[in-house]
Amino acid sequence: LGIKSFLSLEHTDRDELREILDLARAHEEGSVSQTLAGKTVCLAFFEASTRTAVSFELAARRCGADVISLSEQASAISKGESLVDTVVTLDRLGADAIVLRHPAAGAASLASRHTAAPVVNAGDGCGQHPTQALLDLYALSKALGGFDDLLGRRVAIIGDVLHSRVARSVIPAFTKAGMEVALVAPGTLLPRDAGAWGLPVLSSVDEALDWEADVLYALRLQRERMTGARIPSVGEYARFFGVARRHLRGGTLVMHPGPVNRGIEISGDVVLGDSSLVPNQVAAGVPVRSAVLTVATGAAQRVAA
Amino acid sequence: VIPGRTNPPDLVVRHAHVLDPGSGLDGVMDVRLSGGRIAEVGDNLRGTRELDADGLHLFPGFVDVHAHWRTPGREDEETIESGSASAAAGGFTGVVMMPNTDPIVDSPVVVSGLVRRIERESRVRARISAALHVGLEGKRLTEMRLLKEAGAFCVSDDGLGTASAGVLRNGMMYACSAGLPLILHCEDHTLATGVVHDGVAASLAGIPGSPASAEDVATATALILAAETGAKTHITHVSTALSAALVAFFKGRADITADTTPHHLTLTDDLISTLEGLYRVNPPLRPDADRDGVGEALRTGVVDFVATDHAPHASEEKELPLEEAAPGFLGHETAFSALHTEIVLTGKLTLSRLVEAMGCAPGRWVGEGGRLTVGEPADLALLDLSERWTVDSGTMISRSSNSPYFGKTLTGRVVGTIVGGELVHDRTGAQLGTRG
Repeated sequence: LGIKSFLSLEHTDRDELREILDLARAHEEGSVSQTLAGKTVCLAFFEASTRTAVSFELAARRCGADVISLSEQASAISKGESLVDTVVTLDRLGADAIVLRHPAAGAASLASRHTAAPVVNAGDGCGQHPTQALLDLYALSKALGGFDDLLGRRVAIIGDVLHSRVARSVIPAFTKAGMEVALVAPGTLLPRDAGAWGLPVLSSVDEALDWEADVLYALRLQRERMTGARIPSVGEYARFFGVARRHLRGGTLVMHPGPVNRGIEISGDVVLGDSSLVPNQVAAGVPVRSAVLTVATGAAQRVAA
Repeated sequence: VIPGRTNPPDLVVRHAHVLDPGSGLDGVMDVRLSGGRIAEVGDNLRGTRELDADGLHLFPGFVDVHAHWRTPGREDEETIESGSASAAAGGFTGVVMMPNTDPIVDSPVVVSGLVRRIERESRVRARISAALHVGLEGKRLTEMRLLKEAGAFCVSDDGLGTASAGVLRNGMMYACSAGLPLILHCEDHTLATGVVHDGVAASLAGIPGSPASAEDVATATALILAAETGAKTHITHVSTALSAALVAFFKGRADITADTTPHHLTLTDDLISTLEGLYRVNPPLRPDADRDGVGEALRTGVVDFVATDHAPHASEEKELPLEEAAPGFLGHETAFSALHTEIVLTGKLTLSRLVEAMGCAPGRWVGEGGRLTVGEPADLALLDLSERWTVDSGTMISRSSNSPYFGKTLTGRVVGTIVGGELVHDRTGAQLGTRG
């Protein structure tokens, strides 16, 4: 009872976002703990991941859960077991939550149709990555003072929106938090109907600054996109879409979901500089994922009571 | 290929509303079938067997020039027996089987094997489309004359299309001289890099999209080559408004015809937002404007007829994320009902044009059937246009269950299908009886 899957943030409203972030802060401050004692959290990673997997595992363990970890390299997944069969197996083994990473969009939604346990989408193809968006909100609201300080702020999402599950989750998250969002990318890295979001589309970081962006949120450019026909060269990309020191004005913040290609998406002297929230985003991973798992398993109600 | 049958006794279908736009019939009358052919059309006819069809409609049997019966190779998904039973349940009396099986239908021995199995198993008139090129790899032409001798009716590149315009041009010239029509699948794979239509729904969902231009560019290539070579060319599963406009431009300039599918006429790409593998199909479901454009082209006759692209898949090939699912839908059993419900009852197409597009026009293309006139083969479909039924896996005769219409309630259903004067699908129940 009271369990909740996190497949996307499509149906999460502003108040729910605030509650999750408040619960994350409680985890970080240590005012709640052991919220998952006696629970079993299963991590099923059908695609390589380091930071997301580690941060979910740490979150689950710190909350007192037993953790079962299936990775692509060392499980039935590599023997060709289907997603549905793996999920049903984890369900029957008594999983209280299934954290899923998969290379195809819609995988988390498919999984949720085959288990009674809540499914937490840890990234599916170019689809969604909701916990990334939540930890971005957490890190940014903390830097600005609080959740209500997000209202009216402008964030420019820069780079490969087309292939980005992070973009598809942060766009609704930032919007629901009351922020204004613009997309900054060459036409070849935008979805065919990017207009569907109803957001301004800009064509350089300089234009984003003219638009008076408060936050420059750079997306990762996958290696395979650098050599394909979508951009002429890494150099040209970095010139127009790379965030450099010259773009930083008083108070401009820089974010990136990681891992950063230094000198391409963000120049080396900015990645860990004063304007950068990149380390804060990483640090937000454990408390936010603790909160998400706590809400997903229905344990949040006990915390509140 | 005609199913092997003994000569059935005369059958009179009484009091049916006969509708055949091809021969101008539209009214309640009797039809007598004898010796496998239509013997008489009139009033108060008598026969050894009589079928009381009060309140039912009688149409020329439907013809589906695009079906995947998965034989040989994937008989777990469909066989000639189950595929033909499924076709008969949809009112189809004639079908063309596509060659992208395992093995591919690219050698005379595979064709003759199919001919034998059709004779033994098929309830409807099944014709064989052989491959246009060896292995459907787009390199070497098949032995088209030998394939024709073995029993192939036409040649096709269905499934993938032909990457090289040069190979396609040679194939069209050779097929033309061999007297074989072509059924072409138009898709440019340098553009078709995704799995759904590249539009709003794909953009929001993050599913890799293929643009409409992937179909349009290849359709333009095929039409230009058809005009140049003079080959009898059929463009199958037209799904975009622009491709339909290209077909319109080349009508009269080339020996071309075109079809579209029930799903492209009734469904749109907003189904992508469900993220369900079931909804992957190729060509992909398109936006409203394409669905409406193709529908208008069917109405005016620019798109000549309907074909289902009946494509059975095992559940393990569909219960996957969209990107990994196999493309294709079941088509035979829901084709008429879905189109009747969605475009006839809504006033977008007349019943008469739908009957022409499912029976008369494809019948003319294959050169047999599709006409309810004396002397023609007794291939007919009997329907109850008011029966409402809900599509579910229990109602499906196909071996597979990948229908996009599951859960939908449709209006109008096939009650009986007659091939060569014999009922090969029979839901008439008590209505069939022998009278003095």
